[in-house]
Amino acid sequence: MLEHIVFIIGAILVVIGAICDLIAAIGFLRFPNFFVRLHAATIGAIGGAVVPLFGVTLIALVSDYLGTFRYYVAGASFITAIFILLAAPTGSHALARATHKAKVVPVYPKVVDHLEEDRGGKG
Amino acid sequence: MFDIFDATMTLITIVVPIFVLAFILYSVRIFKGPSVSDMVLAVDALSFDVAAFMCLLTLYFRSPFLITGAIILSLWAFALDIFIAKYYEKKEMGG
Repeated sequence: MLEHIVFIIGAILVVIGAICDLIAAIGFLRFPNFFVRLHAATIGAIGGAVVPLFGVTLIALVSDYLGTFRYYVAGASFITAIFILLAAPTGSHALARATHKAKVVPVYPKVVDHLEEDRGGKG
Repeated sequence: MFDIFDATMTLITIVVPIFVLAFILYSVRIFKGPSVSDMVLAVDALSFDVAAFMCLLTLYFRSPFLITGAIILSLWAFALDIFIAKYYEKKEMGG
């Protein structure tokens, strides 16, 4: 009984992750600018990868047909999820900061740009 | 109650087409991206999602080898971000 409850929680997490993944992919296509697409990237990394990895962890823990290596699968999924949870925001932030500093992408639909003003630009 | 093996197979059969459709849409942005930053951001999100997809395939194929690749793949996506960011800031790729 407890195994089935854990399996259902894991399955719900995996389905939520798949839907978040699809939403992030549509957002990547539809958003107009690089700095707006960062929102979609966050959904794709956290909602689309970390949440299903936690779901896989829960499913693997109760899967008797995997034999002994179900603990291996669960542990590796958990480690990967924790790593993505730490690495994806760090990488996105570094990329956004460097892109803004190098002026690779024009900040086109904007009201005010305080970061550019702090660097001595026009803003 | 239901059988966990059959339920896992059904779940993965339902979820895999959604993931594949998302991968195709990410690939459109990778090939179309107006700037290098867009491409790198899309490759980043695609790599993390492929890592999660490989963990699902591990459950489906009952093989422990795929999940080693998932950890390495997420590490490489992070390294790509840091390399491109460093190139933009310093204009050099050195280590």
